[in-house]
Amino acid sequence: MKRKLELKVNDEPWEIEVEPHKTLLEVIREDLGFKGAKEGCGLGACGACTVLIDGRPVLSCLTLAVEVENRSITTIEGLAKGSQPDPIQLAFVDHFAIQCGFCTPGMIMSAKGLLIKNQTPSREEIKEALSGNLCRCTGYKKIIDAVESLVRNKKTYLQDDPQK
Amino acid sequence: MGTESYSVIGTRQPLIDGLVKASGEAKFTEDLALPGMLIGKMLGSLYPHAKILNVDHSKALTLRGVKAVVSGVDISGKKYGDFASRRDQNGLTLKARYIGDPIAAVAALDEETALEALDLIRVDYEELPVVFDPEHAMEEGAPLIHEEYQRNIVAYRRFDFGDVEAAFRDSDYVREGRFSSQAISHGVIEPRAALAQYDLSGKLTIWTSTQSPYWIRRDLSLILNIPESKIRVIKPYVGSGFGGKGSLYSYQVAASLLAMKTRKPIKICLSREEEISTTCLRAPMIVYVKTGVKKNGTILAQYVRCLADGGAYASSSVLMMYNSGLTCLIPYRIPNFKYDGYMVYTNKPISGPMRGHGANQPRFAIESQLDMIAEDLNIDPAELRLKNATQAGDTSISGLVFNSCELSKAIKETTKHAEWDKKRGQTGSNRGIGLACGGFVSGARLGGHTASGCYVQVNEDGGVTVTTGSSDIGQGSRTIVAQVAAEELGLSPSDITVLSGDSETTPIDPGTFSSRVTFYSGNATLIAAREVKAQLSQIAAKIMKANANDIVFQDKKVFVRGRVDSYISFAELAKKTEGMGSGRLIIGKGQWAPTNTQFPDRETQYGNVSGAYSFAAQIAEVEVDPETGQVKVLKITIGDDCGTVINLSGAEGQAEGSAAMGIGHALMENIIFGNNGQIMNPSFLDFRIPTARDVNDISVLEVGSPDPTGPYGAKEVGEGLLIATVPAIVNAIYDAVGVRITELPATPEKILEALEKKKKEKYL
Repeated sequence: MKRKLELKVNDEPWEIEVEPHKTLLEVIREDLGFKGAKEGCGLGACGACTVLIDGRPVLSCLTLAVEVENRSITTIEGLAKGSQPDPIQLAFVDHFAIQCGFCTPGMIMSAKGLLIKNQTPSREEIKEALSGNLCRCTGYKKIIDAVESLVRNKKTYLQDDPQK
Repeated sequence: MGTESYSVIGTRQPLIDGLVKASGEAKFTEDLALPGMLIGKMLGSLYPHAKILNVDHSKALTLRGVKAVVSGVDISGKKYGDFASRRDQNGLTLKARYIGDPIAAVAALDEETALEALDLIRVDYEELPVVFDPEHAMEEGAPLIHEEYQRNIVAYRRFDFGDVEAAFRDSDYVREGRFSSQAISHGVIEPRAALAQYDLSGKLTIWTSTQSPYWIRRDLSLILNIPESKIRVIKPYVGSGFGGKGSLYSYQVAASLLAMKTRKPIKICLSREEEISTTCLRAPMIVYVKTGVKKNGTILAQYVRCLADGGAYASSSVLMMYNSGLTCLIPYRIPNFKYDGYMVYTNKPISGPMRGHGANQPRFAIESQLDMIAEDLNIDPAELRLKNATQAGDTSISGLVFNSCELSKAIKETTKHAEWDKKRGQTGSNRGIGLACGGFVSGARLGGHTASGCYVQVNEDGGVTVTTGSSDIGQGSRTIVAQVAAEELGLSPSDITVLSGDSETTPIDPGTFSSRVTFYSGNATLIAAREVKAQLSQIAAKIMKANANDIVFQDKKVFVRGRVDSYISFAELAKKTEGMGSGRLIIGKGQWAPTNTQFPDRETQYGNVSGAYSFAAQIAEVEVDPETGQVKVLKITIGDDCGTVINLSGAEGQAEGSAAMGIGHALMENIIFGNNGQIMNPSFLDFRIPTARDVNDISVLEVGSPDPTGPYGAKEVGEGLLIATVPAIVNAIYDAVGVRITELPATPEKILEALEKKKKEKYL
């Protein structure tokens, strides 16, 4: 039986009818059309479905949509401000931290979550924060480099970030 | 010509589609939808070997929302498979050969209904005798998995060059050993998916995560009895492949059949469990190696015998077993070489191509054995390899022609960088260092279409469109062909739009495999771009009243050599061609395949199968915890000879990705089969691939020199690098704690057991 649900996704309110057993990933992808979050495993093992809830990275495939009513949900589509990509997105491109791009949205959301919580993470802390996001292409080095570059340039990063 | 004379080639270039991927806007197959689309799901066999007597789907069809069910009886065409000589698949089978072998598929309004319908399909099975162990499978009297293959041998390749027996007799020292390598899932993060549509004109369109739209089209045509020209295969963004997404799989057949039956678009997305257990795996292999050397370490002879567990269907068997032999002859000079390579069917999921394709397993064995020989003869393992390393200008005893080779340089530079002499043999530290080498083809010669094609068109505003046959699956081939066009036309890669991966609109191309893409498509693009440049030069020469040969394209400017100040912009020239070029379009076309290759001789396997060969030396540094058996890979140093580097960031990305995958293969990844051949760990929770925490320092040293055949001198980089990582790690474990792991993966349990055994031997 469907129930009414109010969600706040990428700063926009949504009111939808949803079955209570639907995961957040299913709802954002199928009901709201945000296809950036991916289903790589459906078991919370790969991190491709990572989104932010109140600024913290969460596996949307393990989260029921009804659990996050009225919380602030950010998907990869919500990172750019107008036509200006988030510095993390640009850092991933510039550092060649992307190959196939399938894990990329989840990886970027985990990195975003880390940098909201800790503006000066060490390399080890970056690895720890990204260890729930699997990437089979890059060997992670350039991903860690990309995130680390934002730590070095943290002033510019934080100025751009309304959630700091 | 050195790289310093290029403006784009050899530089660091971001992916031209990087921002599309970073923004989440890149659409993969699972992201696509069409109006009226239904969801498909497949039913797999409950038994490892059984005749399917009947599939009763009457009850499933009564379920509300179920629109169609298909099974093996709906398939009217021929069998399909990677190679014409080994076509053994139906897609939906009438004889199940492994647990999960797809039998039927259902289309419904949503996934839940489709899954519910699967439970209502009744299958009558007649169980057949089973065989899971490849050594048992090739015994006389073993149950036959495909009737026409005696002793279940689906592929057998034999090399016999020189006189191996005599050379063993002449050797000062001969060492023999048995090694084994495990089954591995490709672990692509994007599970395979297909969206199929069929219209009344008889045309089938399928969007699918594939490495080769052309192979999918060919095999769908065979199985569905539709002419190839009536099938359109579109490759959206693909979440990597590593060899696994090249072949046609059951889910693509099922989606197509259901679309034909319902006349509605059908989408099938594999679950991770299906992705691991119903597609293909890296072939488990038992490798026996015997090497004869002189006292000074010079290799005189080698005999290699591979027994690969092929699983239920042939897949790339004949090529894989050829590769296992041929790649033994790339890194070192081996004057006498014999090889027997068998692949046998078993009642387990399919073994297919995976990054390195047959080379990794024997290379692990050989590089391990070379270290054992070095120790026995008291020679530095790096010295032993340098003594035998292939040199530019060599031809292997099997006819492989090495026009460029910097393996010796790779060994010297990696050992220097990693401080080999200082770090090796530090007893008591539990730290160790290991070296291994490898090499690979830049595209093997194929029986059918082997060339790649390209069109380059200049648009009215000076933008350039490259239409390429190559399939970007994440390795960055869109960016590579854009770089080639940009280099030739004096533009930036971001000025280039690349169209690829559509069997109806892009040139026929075998696909992304065998490390052929940069080598073939790069050259095809180069030819097409030079044709465009020639056409534009004629027009520019007219405008500038100069000789066409003196026109230079650089930094988006066009000028007469030496007169850069009186330039016109590329965009301006493009605009002027409308009038100046008699209204003609500026279009160039190119197709390319090497002319220095041969199809290997059917009897002897002699022949130069590739236009160029990559080489690599790798050094792994590890720390082993003797209490837990845990291995930490501290650093991997890669000396890469991929010829001229086209994109430095891209080449490093391939090297670093290979290093991580090698850590997984060496230490962590292992597909576990139950007693009935079923995969027991079909998830990322239990089949563990490396995370960011498993990968530490990686250094990539580009040591290549330009190859005469490759575009700008480039060779392959995607596969060869992985091959050496695994033995380098295993050799480093030996250096650290003195235990030799011969059966992969080198798990803590095996290391502890070996340490325990060593301790006991010490006190005996």
